[in-house]
Amino acid sequence: METLKSAFDFSDFPRLDISIAGIIAIFLLVFPLFSHSAFAMATMIQFLMFSVYGMGWNTIGGYGGQVDLGKAQYVGIGAYTTAVLLIRWNIPFWFSMPLGVCLAMAWSFIIGYPLFRLKGHYFAIATIATSLVLMDLFSVWEFVGAARGLEISPIKYHYPDFWRLIFKKDIYYYYVILGFFFVGILYVNGFRRSRLGFQLRSIRDNEEMASSLGINVHWAKIKTYAIATAFVSVVGSFHACYIKNIEPQDTMGLDLSILIALMAMLGGAGSLWGPIIGAAVLIPLKSYLKAWLGGAAGLAGIDLVIYAVIIMLISALEPRGIWGIVEKVRRRRWQ
Amino acid sequence: MALLEVLNLTKTFGGLSANQDISFSVQEGELVGIIGPNGAGKTTLFNCISGFYPVSSGKVIFNGKNITALKAHETARRGLARTFQIYAASGDLTVIENVMVGCFMRTRSRSKAQAAAEEILNEFNLTGIGDVFVGELPVAVQKRVTMATALGSGPRLLLLDEVAAGLTPNEIEEIMANIRHIHSHLGIAVMLIEHVMELVMKVSDRVMVLDYGRKIADGPPRTVAKDPEVIKAYLGERFVREHQEML
Ligand SMILES: Nc1ncnc2c1ncn2[C@@H]1O[C@H](COP(=O)(O)OP(=O)(O)OP(=O)(O)O)[C@@H](O)[C@H]1O
Ligand SMILES: [Mg+2]
Repeated sequence: METLKSAFDFSDFPRLDISIAGIIAIFLLVFPLFSHSAFAMATMIQFLMFSVYGMGWNTIGGYGGQVDLGKAQYVGIGAYTTAVLLIRWNIPFWFSMPLGVCLAMAWSFIIGYPLFRLKGHYFAIATIATSLVLMDLFSVWEFVGAARGLEISPIKYHYPDFWRLIFKKDIYYYYVILGFFFVGILYVNGFRRSRLGFQLRSIRDNEEMASSLGINVHWAKIKTYAIATAFVSVVGSFHACYIKNIEPQDTMGLDLSILIALMAMLGGAGSLWGPIIGAAVLIPLKSYLKAWLGGAAGLAGIDLVIYAVIIMLISALEPRGIWGIVEKVRRRRWQ
Repeated sequence: MALLEVLNLTKTFGGLSANQDISFSVQEGELVGIIGPNGAGKTTLFNCISGFYPVSSGKVIFNGKNITALKAHETARRGLARTFQIYAASGDLTVIENVMVGCFMRTRSRSKAQAAAEEILNEFNLTGIGDVFVGELPVAVQKRVTMATALGSGPRLLLLDEVAAGLTPNEIEEIMANIRHIHSHLGIAVMLIEHVMELVMKVSDRVMVLDYGRKIADGPPRTVAKDPEVIKAYLGERFVREHQEML
């Protein structure tokens, strides 16, 4: 009960923030009602998806300070669970999605247990290495289509199919992911002031001090890693129904993992609004880069170069990202 | 039965014995000062008791249970809290958030943790700065926040490692008031590592002296201060001359 109340409690934010957030929330709710291009709609859906990815990453990566560069594998578990169950057994999204979350969390315990024995840069590198195991496996596993991946053929279903999340119009997908987006915000808002949220911030600051206060540092990290995993797995399931065509490379690849971490880091790791701000900046940039580079094969990979530059700029200038700058300016103004 | 009992504790690093065959006990509600030259093994002793280091040999009994092999977070949950010599409270958290992390050891509920933390801040004369980030406070206040945080976890024994180092006389007064509150008012047992003699001699029921990893004296402050071996190893003749009236 208290947990539920604290999810809806934004009273520790300045009034200005709450007003801006309210206006943005209303804009997001009514956006599809105004005339818009298909490109704008697709970009908005991407923005919402990546916001939720970022919110999930932010629990372990931001509040917990564990730079996790391997989140995509769990996107893949969600996406493949939903796609396989739908294609083979016609099982709807609302069953396969929670199952995907369970599978992803189970895998996250197996990966997380040894992973969190490592610290700092070793941890970050190990997250990359372990994240590619599943991708390699799925690339050769015929049952899930190996490297070709899986395709959900929409002809089999009657539009709009709310159980299976098979729609012709993007507006339906928009509102589904918007729902997840709002739930995500409420969850993280409760999380950041929950016992686990406090414990993680303490761990980020100083692990020895945290354990002197009775916190099982290893276990707290593993638990939070599983929470982050649940977030990205849900969006992975959504991704399968929305894109309808999944491959190991783009649901489990390193590009996606880095992009997820980057959203939160650019916007502000360890703040509620950070991942949303990050996605709002990066997703248009990503779409633009894609359109601009198009099929220019020789330039493939330049987007990664740009992301790398952004990472370096953040770590050199303001580890707390854009939101960190906002807070700094604010505090200076008050003093 | 003693609250804490340490039996023949030895801790070696490579060839170096940082703690050599140390035995002592702490009674419920007692305040024990620990003094000794730099490198004597004081901090190491805390690390062994609280489960941060595995001991090389010996036993630690707390509250009747053998806790020698327990990890740091497990000893904390049994009522053993500590502060650290090298760092103060979490700078990225506000004062009240720091104390709440401690209080969260006893409760899941945020409102309960917050109420408990507010009460502790009140007792520590830290009200009014609850929402300040600890990193922005003077070191003396940071040290007091660390003590308040450790207290939040509801310990039966509190290990304080040089909380008064580098502070001005006024600041030491404030710290002393906090320690007295913990000990006299709350009745919590305290072990206090300190180089600031005025503080140790005034507040301790008993003082233990370590030198080169060994316990060389253990007794009431006045007796220990007159012990020739202690004077030779640590206090020095000048200290005794200058502090006649105190002793
Ligand atoms: N983790 C460690 N690894 C190796 N040697 C250590 C370690 N911790 C402490 N030592 C050594 O053990 C000895 C005792 O150190 P300790 O920190 O316990 O001394 P101390 O009495 O707390 O000194 P000070 O008054 O300077 O804080 C020192 O020689 C130190 O170098
Ligand atoms: Mg020391």
